[in-house]
Amino acid sequence: MKKKPFKFFGMAMTGVLAISLSACGGGGAATTNNAAGGDTGTDSSGGKSGSTENITITFQNIYPDASDPKNQMMKKIVEQYEKEHTNVKIELDSLNTDQQKLKLKTQAASKEVPDITVVNPAAQMQPFVDEDLFAPLNDMVEENGLKDTFQKGILDYYTFDGNLYALPDGNNIGVVFYNKKLMEEGGVKVPTTFEEMVDAVKTLKGKGIQPMVIGEKDSWTGSFLFMNILLRTNGGPGFLQDVLDGKKTFEDQAYVDAVQAFENLVQAGAFQDGATSFDYNSGENLFKTGKAAMYYMGSWATGGIETAEVSKDDNVGVFKFPTVGGKGNADEFMLAPGSAFAISKNSKHLDETKDFLNYFMTNFPKEAFEAKGAVGIAQNVDGDFKAAGYSDMAMNVLDLFKEVKGGDLAFDNTMNPATTQVHLSGIQGLFVEQKDPAAVAKELQAAYEENK
Amino acid sequence: MNVLKVSRWTIAAFIMPCLIVYLGLVFVPILVSIYSGLMDWNGIGKATFIGFSNYAKMFTHDPVFWPAVRRTFTLAGFSMLVQVPVALLVAILITRFVRRPNFLVSSYFLPVILSVAIIGQLWKTIYNPAAMGGMINQILIKVGLESWTHSWLTEPKIAIYAIILVSLWQYLGYHILIQFTGIQNIPSEIYEAAKIDGASGFKADRYITLPMVLPILKISIVLSFIGSLQSFDLIMVMTAGGPAHATEVLASHMYNMSFITMEYGYGSAIANMLILICLIATVLINLLFTRLEKRYS
Repeated sequence: MKKKPFKFFGMAMTGVLAISLSACGGGGAATTNNAAGGDTGTDSSGGKSGSTENITITFQNIYPDASDPKNQMMKKIVEQYEKEHTNVKIELDSLNTDQQKLKLKTQAASKEVPDITVVNPAAQMQPFVDEDLFAPLNDMVEENGLKDTFQKGILDYYTFDGNLYALPDGNNIGVVFYNKKLMEEGGVKVPTTFEEMVDAVKTLKGKGIQPMVIGEKDSWTGSFLFMNILLRTNGGPGFLQDVLDGKKTFEDQAYVDAVQAFENLVQAGAFQDGATSFDYNSGENLFKTGKAAMYYMGSWATGGIETAEVSKDDNVGVFKFPTVGGKGNADEFMLAPGSAFAISKNSKHLDETKDFLNYFMTNFPKEAFEAKGAVGIAQNVDGDFKAAGYSDMAMNVLDLFKEVKGGDLAFDNTMNPATTQVHLSGIQGLFVEQKDPAAVAKELQAAYEENK
Repeated sequence: MNVLKVSRWTIAAFIMPCLIVYLGLVFVPILVSIYSGLMDWNGIGKATFIGFSNYAKMFTHDPVFWPAVRRTFTLAGFSMLVQVPVALLVAILITRFVRRPNFLVSSYFLPVILSVAIIGQLWKTIYNPAAMGGMINQILIKVGLESWTHSWLTEPKIAIYAIILVSLWQYLGYHILIQFTGIQNIPSEIYEAAKIDGASGFKADRYITLPMVLPILKISIVLSFIGSLQSFDLIMVMTAGGPAHATEVLASHMYNMSFITMEYGYGSAIANMLILICLIATVLINLLFTRLEKRYS
């Protein structure tokens, strides 16, 4: 008697399980098969793509924040495009930077790169290019003059063996933002040399004002500042390239001097206590909320700082990173060509994807300008920034752009990831412990040789 | 096998879905990771077979590996030798002195259900320097112990202990719950009989509770050990292994190597070490407890 209900129950349960399992399988199949439909007739596309097939293009991007002007801008352009090309659906895959990096690596490992994805310039996109994952965009940028909208030289960072593989959304430089009110309270002037900067730090510190802030948990922040010092102590750009070419080593005086100068800054008490536990955002927030006098960062931070509390009454100014020990030229900047859009070589709809990206990038500067996000984009913008309501600080940053006479890329854009990590943690270590600069340099050189 | 009076096929049918998922999600990845641990692979490009070079590098060359192992075991040690005994003590005290213990036990359990990201952010604020509103440092200053203040998460020598403390705090309730349940399951007749024989209070704990709760204690210890080996999220949220690898443990080192440094093969090799250590430790702990149980039964 007892056996029967159990058996029935058992069979029922197995049935349920089986159904739910097969349902899962079916669901999976359905999502992968998105280009199934065929022939909805109305073709209103510009005629370039020619096909009337319904297609979906996956657009992986790093604008997930709906309050960010870039996100709104992207949606607007996508909407316009879909209106003009009714057979194309753009599927947005919006992720934050770190997630996207990880996801792309996973996708690349299984050769399933989305139609459009985001990569970083130079050495960081090299492995992907080496694996032949991206489609060259040379023809696409030539056909309607898109190429000429980009600033001179910027596309070089995305070009390998004469093939252009990605189109950047930004082009930034490293600058020092400063809080005018706090500087005045501390009685310090905008430093014109690094030594003055260290003195200013000491003076501010003595008056109980936090001299500088940094989000060093994300270790690239310290490295970015350090590389600017190196750009000076080396008397000009190209140190890392020289190392790569075997002309110099990390144990050269320029690097050792830079470590020493950086330590001087840290030991003078420039940065907030516990700097290595602050991530990029919380570090920047300290400046944005008026808690620090100076902040070294890429010009991409302009928009965020401009709209923050601290910028009221035109309270924030910018200055060029000063010369170090009388060396270097303040008109040479840390250059930060931005993340860039690349197209998967294996995209099922290569032509349509190219067409869309072309459309997107062509409209990008205009829309960015309107959304007040045009400081530090990679393309030339026609338009009067002042009249459009950009702040004085933004105007200052734009002026600095005009004075750029070359510079260096960030460490991770030049060196391989393994060497980069040793460098990053070496610099991070300087925040918590005073070390012999020569030893720091030696450790990095050893790591570089091992990972060449 | 026939206790349930269900046919073996039915049992198999019930086990199959779970088994397949388990094999697919646990064993297959382990095999894959053993395989890729023998490769020089950046995760994207072509992999070259390099035999045991990854392991050679790990044992002899990698300046981060051994300190990370040491920290991992420190964490495991604290967890097994401090957290679990304290949890047992609390569980015993609750059972004995609290009439309606459920509320207390649930409160202790609360941190376990909070997401680690929240816990990490919370404690980061608590550990902050006084100038940034850090609670601990402010209290220290208020009571006149200014020289005791530290920047807890960024001084290389103490940062890892600061994190260990958080991890102990978070999972204390988990072990209290496990052991509390274990103690509740000891039949009260035994205590009553012991009382008649003159054993009550801590004497009863020593001769009744402790031996009878041993199997549960074993589970707690194994869980806390494996949990410590896998500790990753808390470290990522609080320090990301920094400053300069000072809080790197095996799991975070593995992640950094696989995904940040892009040495996927090497990362897999570290993962395999982690698996190996887990297996060996589980066997050792089991052996130890079998002995203990024999002695007490």
